[in-house]
Amino acid sequence: MMQSIFAIQKSGIGVPAVPMEEVVIAADLSWAGLILLLPLISLVLCGVCAAMRVKSKAPAMITAAALAGSFVTSVALYLNYVPPGDVIPLLDWMNLSWGESRFDAFSANFALYIDSLSLLWIMFVTGLGTLITIYASEYMEPDLGKGYARFFAGVSVFLFAMGCLVLSDNLLMLYLGWEGVGFASYWLIGYYYQRPSAVAAAKKAFIVNRIGDLGLALAVYLIWVTFGTVQYDELMSVLQANDWRPEFEGWSVTAIPFLLMLAAFGKSAQLPLYVWLPDAMEGPTPVSALIHAATMVTAGIYLVARTYPLFLMEPVSLQVVAWVGGLTALLAATIGMAQFDIKRIMAYSTVSQLGYMFLGLGVLTTYGAAYHVFTHAFFKAVLFLTCGAIMHGFAGQLDLRKLSGLRHMKGWRITAWTMLIGCLCLAGFPFTSGYFSKDAILAEAFVTQGPGFEILGWIAIVTAGLTAYYTFRVWFRVCAGPVAFEPGDELHDGDAHHGEFHPHAPRFAINGVLLVIAIGALLAAVPYFLDNQADEHLAGGWIADMVHDSTAREGLPAGHGDVDGAHHATILGMDPHAAMYYISGVVGLIGLSFAAWLHLWRRSDADALSRWMRQRIWIGWLPRAMERKWYVDEIYHGVVRAPLWILGHMCHAFDRFIIDGLLVDGTARLPRTLARWLQPLQSGVVQSIALAMAGGVAIILLAMALFMQFDWPGGAH
Amino acid sequence: MMDRIWFLLPELIMLTGAVVCAVSGLSRDVGVRRALPGIAIITLILAYAASGFVYEMPSDEASVGDAAAVFPWLARMMIPIASVVGVVLVLVQSGFVDRSYEDAVAAGRLQFDPLRSNRGEFWSFFLLSLGGLMLTSSASDLIWLFLALELTSLPTYVMVAIGRKDRVAQEAAMKYFFLGAMAAAILLLGFGLLYGATGTMNFAEMRDVLSARAGETGSIGSLATIGLLMSVLGVAYKLAAAPMHLYAADVYDGAAAPVTAFLGFVPKAAGAVGLMLLLSITGWTESGGSLPPAVLVTLWVIAVMTMTLGNIGALLQDRVKRMLGYSSISHSGYILIGIIAGPGAGYSAVLIYLLAYGLGNTATFAVLASLRSGGQELERVDDLAGLRERHPGLAWAMAISAGSLLGFPPLFGFWGKLLLFIAGVASGHLLIVIIAGINSAISAWYYLRLVALPLTGQGEGAGVTVERSSSVGPRYAAILTCVALILGPLLLMPMLDEADHAITQTTSVSEE
Repeated sequence: MMQSIFAIQKSGIGVPAVPMEEVVIAADLSWAGLILLLPLISLVLCGVCAAMRVKSKAPAMITAAALAGSFVTSVALYLNYVPPGDVIPLLDWMNLSWGESRFDAFSANFALYIDSLSLLWIMFVTGLGTLITIYASEYMEPDLGKGYARFFAGVSVFLFAMGCLVLSDNLLMLYLGWEGVGFASYWLIGYYYQRPSAVAAAKKAFIVNRIGDLGLALAVYLIWVTFGTVQYDELMSVLQANDWRPEFEGWSVTAIPFLLMLAAFGKSAQLPLYVWLPDAMEGPTPVSALIHAATMVTAGIYLVARTYPLFLMEPVSLQVVAWVGGLTALLAATIGMAQFDIKRIMAYSTVSQLGYMFLGLGVLTTYGAAYHVFTHAFFKAVLFLTCGAIMHGFAGQLDLRKLSGLRHMKGWRITAWTMLIGCLCLAGFPFTSGYFSKDAILAEAFVTQGPGFEILGWIAIVTAGLTAYYTFRVWFRVCAGPVAFEPGDELHDGDAHHGEFHPHAPRFAINGVLLVIAIGALLAAVPYFLDNQADEHLAGGWIADMVHDSTAREGLPAGHGDVDGAHHATILGMDPHAAMYYISGVVGLIGLSFAAWLHLWRRSDADALSRWMRQRIWIGWLPRAMERKWYVDEIYHGVVRAPLWILGHMCHAFDRFIIDGLLVDGTARLPRTLARWLQPLQSGVVQSIALAMAGGVAIILLAMALFMQFDWPGGAH
Repeated sequence: MMDRIWFLLPELIMLTGAVVCAVSGLSRDVGVRRALPGIAIITLILAYAASGFVYEMPSDEASVGDAAAVFPWLARMMIPIASVVGVVLVLVQSGFVDRSYEDAVAAGRLQFDPLRSNRGEFWSFFLLSLGGLMLTSSASDLIWLFLALELTSLPTYVMVAIGRKDRVAQEAAMKYFFLGAMAAAILLLGFGLLYGATGTMNFAEMRDVLSARAGETGSIGSLATIGLLMSVLGVAYKLAAAPMHLYAADVYDGAAAPVTAFLGFVPKAAGAVGLMLLLSITGWTESGGSLPPAVLVTLWVIAVMTMTLGNIGALLQDRVKRMLGYSSISHSGYILIGIIAGPGAGYSAVLIYLLAYGLGNTATFAVLASLRSGGQELERVDDLAGLRERHPGLAWAMAISAGSLLGFPPLFGFWGKLLLFIAGVASGHLLIVIIAGINSAISAWYYLRLVALPLTGQGEGAGVTVERSSSVGPRYAAILTCVALILGPLLLMPMLDEADHAITQTTSVSEE
């Protein structure tokens, strides 16, 4: 079906078309446009609410209803889905043609590219978006009548842009969505715009993302000049037919994956562009959960999966992706171990988990990466939302040293237990969803041949242990142990009665959403066991099925039967897939036990250990460096920001003293100086003006008379 | 061949209107005196309609327009331009002449004395000056051109004087008059030399004589060149082009804002048209010929000096009318690019630019005329700061008109400037277009102040309270012109066709 529509489009630009008889008229699926339209409508309505200064929860209701509509539409689209997918044209945008050749044309329209990969993404994006909007309707209560409508307008913009990004049928519309989610992210991180740190974080996120966006823009351009199209379906057939031309002495094919990678690393917070994500926690927590954990940050993984064949053309690029992902996972996990702000720990954990996903892409398992995106979206959303509930209830308190025993407190049980579910999944506790999705990636690191992939595999396993440690460090500190708490500094009216602080426990909306997403996080393990319909040899169930029809299918694990036993590496004498079940389970348990020892049973030991380490010169730098995030911000400050700052000030000085001072002011001063010399003529007295005019006329006439003498009579007139 | 008097119907209507105004202004009836702007508007509309009627009426011959004129269809274009801008100018001027006197009469403090009333003569001069502009466009010989130019200018001297009852205005009027007289003398001297060099006053005959001479000797002769140069410099006074621009800042600043709006457009348009007519005698047409190099170099130097001096002068100004005065000088420089680009694209760009500039310039002054602080006109640019808070419509009008004058797309001014620059490049004068581009960038400095201050500035006008003037005319004028500046570009293509038609010269010699 997709092929046939492709033929119709191509016939327009002078390429032999498939005969019309073969064109199957697809069922009219244009109602799928609702997925994009509904958030737009809710954006407008939120704007109306803001203009009318609505003081009720109407904006939240409108947004939740619109997003639920989008979700239902996505699911309906999935139920109507016929492999290998379809292109649903919505609006014509650009259809340019200036020659016969395929390369002399440019088409990019608003069309939805429905294949299993985009369906997978749009379903969890809209589904989680709906739930988190409901959560936010309670969470944002203190801002009712102030920024409430602005917040939900931002969420609507985000979902529209994310929909464009995921569903687009060409790279240009994807770019539009890419910029759109960046803008929405900026909008929502800077939601508390009165707070300087939030403004700084918003700017940081925007600027760092700009670097990645530059990569994407260049990549789109290079793809167009090299392959003559930016539409996925055409791109894939061009690749299959090997009908492209290498541009720029052939290096365009090499450069494209690296530029795409730059874009993906920017959006998905990987080395060296991850620094914006932890700061992005300045935004309201639902935003952190939705944009900076579950959905937007996975856009980079989506981009790579979507353009996977381009990466396969340049094998080194995937190796780079794997290494960057693995190292980011390790680095972020070590930083996360030493932080005290639970939201920040979750942020670093997000960076670390995204690193896993890139590792998965790099070691040729798009299935593992997609599966980890899927499970991570749920359990990380739960974790963030529980952090948000705690922050909301304890007046902004996020320091894990100042909170304890939450699970014993009235009204906080749901928060504590759903957080436990999230922690178990994140730690990769056996038989949770995170366990299966992470194993899929870890095992493949040992299966796939590549430079040092085995080392990478061990790095990833160590990271899994660290992950279990820092995850449960949070849970044991905050939810277990004796009841104790200090409020944060964001006291609202009604928080403090008679000078004593009473945390206010989450109510129905937050608890309900926490439960639903926590159950979702548990159920996310189910797809692993579902049969896949596409190919019986495929491991991995439903998710593999969803990846199979897409551009990312090259990264699917082949059926690991006896056929490929020959090239299969082994780990500890076992098949990596089987071994990983045990290894990662054991590693996770070790991390968990360390956390239990240091943060549940003997909390004093943790302080003693920390003190002991800090006093030893040979090891003392380690906790300090981890707490200070390996000084990456400082390094960037020194290496990137300071030179730019100096350059900026030099330019400023040049502008001020040379351009403004000398040229502009000088030019401006010149007539004044002249005027002073010619003061008698400039007095405004009529005689002097007359004299000046007559003088001007005389000079011109004299000059021209002389000019004519030299010119006379040879000049042609 | 139609009788030429037939083509003067619009001008005759203007004359009639002027007389009616002059007489009705003496009426003891306040209602009649108040109706004067209405009479002026009706006169302008009638002139507009008459121009259409005169030129478009099918006759037994092919309608060739005023075949005796250098550009037979030029008046067909210029009369509408003059009428349209004229109507807006009427709105701007309405109700400001004799305001205090009329207020005193209305309050019963003074008895109406026809001898002390200036309103009638003001409107009469207003229409006469516009009539002069219309006449200029159909001039066919030196006498006609001189008389038409002076008919345009002489009433403006009086308008400056009676527009405002204070010494500054009187002084400005005197300066304007004396210097104008000197410029007229230079102009006449140039005309005399041209007559001496060719033996005729008629443009078509002069063109034939000079073309023949150029064909024989390779040049039009030094006497004719000097005569042409002096004529160009004399006309430069009307355009306020260097070096004849020195009066402009003083006069524009001294006159009342509505009169300045008038001065910024009417004499300039007459000057630009006069320049086109004068240059035609060298045999320079769309199809061939060229200017004598001395004239070309002079025009080039004048254009560059005019735009540069105007912009640099405006940069320094804190006084808003003076700033706009200098900026209008720089616009004369841009207009000269179109003149240099020559018959064809250059001239038609000049005509479009005149309309765009005239509307934009009138709109800025209309905003100024609608505002008063402490019973006086606004003096400093900073007084406009924060205008949006209290008078959002006027603030936007100021922003749009300044944006148009700057040449900000998609406003009318942008298209006008674009056409001029394209014509300049197409005729091979790239350097002057680059200089003009740099000048445009410089002008952004002060025009953007006019855009930004009213819209975003804090109302920190140093204790100056800005209120609206009592007459509504300027407000309507400001809003109307701004709508025209926004929507005008939609009519650009038909207008350009019209302009192309207007500057098509007759090839045949007229005296048949």
